[in-house]
Amino acid sequence: MIYLDNNATTQVAPEVFDAMQPYLTVRYGNPSSAHALGRQMKAAIERSREQVARLLGARDTAEIVFTSCGSESDNWAIRGVLEASPEKKHIVTTLVEHEAVRNLCLHLERQGYEITWLEVDREGELDLKNLRAALRPDTALVSIMLANNETGVLFPIPDVSRIVRDSSEALLHVDGVQAVGKIPIDLEELGVDLFALSGHKLHAPQGVGALYIRAGVKLPSFLIGGGQESGRRAGTSAVANIVGLGAACELAQDPELHSRIQKLRDRLEDEILRLIPNATLNGPAERAKRLPNTANISFEYVEGENILKQLDEVGICVSTGSACHSTTRESSPTLRAMNVPYTRAQGSIRFSLGRYNTAEDIDTTLTVLPDIVARLAEMSPYDEELRVLYNSRGAA
Amino acid sequence: MSKEAYTLSESEWPAEAIRDHFLHPRNIGDVELPAHSGCAASLSCGAAVRISLKVDQRQRISEVRFKATGCSVLVAAASILTEDVRGKTTGQAAARWQAGSGARGIISKFGSEAAGNEDCALLACEALLAGIKRFSDIVRDEWTGDEALVCTCFGVSEKTIENLVHRGCFQRVEEVTRACNAGAGCRSCWPLIQDILDQPNLAKPSNARP
Repeated sequence: MIYLDNNATTQVAPEVFDAMQPYLTVRYGNPSSAHALGRQMKAAIERSREQVARLLGARDTAEIVFTSCGSESDNWAIRGVLEASPEKKHIVTTLVEHEAVRNLCLHLERQGYEITWLEVDREGELDLKNLRAALRPDTALVSIMLANNETGVLFPIPDVSRIVRDSSEALLHVDGVQAVGKIPIDLEELGVDLFALSGHKLHAPQGVGALYIRAGVKLPSFLIGGGQESGRRAGTSAVANIVGLGAACELAQDPELHSRIQKLRDRLEDEILRLIPNATLNGPAERAKRLPNTANISFEYVEGENILKQLDEVGICVSTGSACHSTTRESSPTLRAMNVPYTRAQGSIRFSLGRYNTAEDIDTTLTVLPDIVARLAEMSPYDEELRVLYNSRGAA
Repeated sequence: MSKEAYTLSESEWPAEAIRDHFLHPRNIGDVELPAHSGCAASLSCGAAVRISLKVDQRQRISEVRFKATGCSVLVAAASILTEDVRGKTTGQAAARWQAGSGARGIISKFGSEAAGNEDCALLACEALLAGIKRFSDIVRDEWTGDEALVCTCFGVSEKTIENLVHRGCFQRVEEVTRACNAGAGCRSCWPLIQDILDQPNLAKPSNARP
């Protein structure tokens, strides 16, 4: 199997699994217990907290709180800020956020909050002038992602942070779920108040996440109950998962890793765009503006779900932003916000690479993909349009 | 798996059949001109399909092909549908795949694989019906028989319908269809049947011509 869907989830790394194993077998104590077993568990959690803090460049380990997933972290951050400043009823976010933020903001909008949805241009980038114009005295929160899950587009968070700090009293929450483990992160440089991450995107297991809460930011608890996580997040700690997240953060501290993945991605992207006449890139051509592991490519006039299933048949896993995938009927909100034409958005495929992909994976994909797309192009009723594309490319 | 492995008379369509038709769709392409073609597209999901067909002297579909961009259910449905209608008369084919009637029943047999994608499969039916309607319209326009032709699918003349309406106190197209089969196929003649029903001297027996 060739797994090119690492933005959806990642394989648990063997090193992570090894680190977790004792906490699923012999070290089964409750970290809140006072006996030696419990104290060992507590120590393991604190070690993980240090590992996470180090990867993120947090100044103080106490700024890291463990949660159950990225969505919990996003929900806590956004709802917590609103609860802390009940007189402020305005939120600024973007049209291309992950559902954890977008659907929560839609929910809050129905409850009476006013949301400013920042638009993106055709390449998926923000116009920061719009952000400055959106800020008001009653803006409680700005919630903007660091890296887009579909296109990999990176938003300029340091600039966002400067604008938010200079022109408002609002707090800045950044959904960093898709970025952590894929690019180096320095929270001090980013200048955020809150930052969400999820373990399973960086080779930790599913079911663990974290929220960075900058020292001094008052965030009421979301899960109320016992005194875990210094009273900030109730619920018995999932020690094995937390240890796994710590180990995964340690593993991600690998300067070679990102550039190795980027080389594979670049080759995949370049070759697809060269070999397949109806292929176009979604997102800025300038690669520094995108995650090094993601290529979102549209195959115009053919259906993404069809490509996905044909690739699946030969053991290659990708994902699509097209309409008929999973349970939704609408094409990806991110691509719609980018004004990608319908015939293109329908044929979009996201290739997202990870640490276990090899040059051979890319070669195999490049061998089968052009034929699959050509077969589907032959089936497409847009024959005239495709003939023009295929002929012009063939002649070149 | 043989291409004949599944027929529409089977009580259930295993997901495997859909998969097979999706991975190895039959009848891709366009029928050589002169042919009749129909298109359908979905604004909500962006799918599009075109079906082209040739009809022989006995009004049987002798060739049928499709082109589609859409989900696997649409592709499989178009493949199954084109296999199914070859050899049938346009009337039989239209009646069988008429959206909202037979088509839904057949689509429901696609099983869990197609759950939630019924509309995608219906697009293929819509394209077929559009193609058959186009054929019917042409035949009707070019008809040179003694009595004007209304229902091409089942060869029902204007005179037959007028007589029925005159005798039967019909008010709705469906009642006419039940009585003489006119309008049971592609439905391109429904407006014509409605026109006959709307003729004041025919609609009610009390207004009958002397």
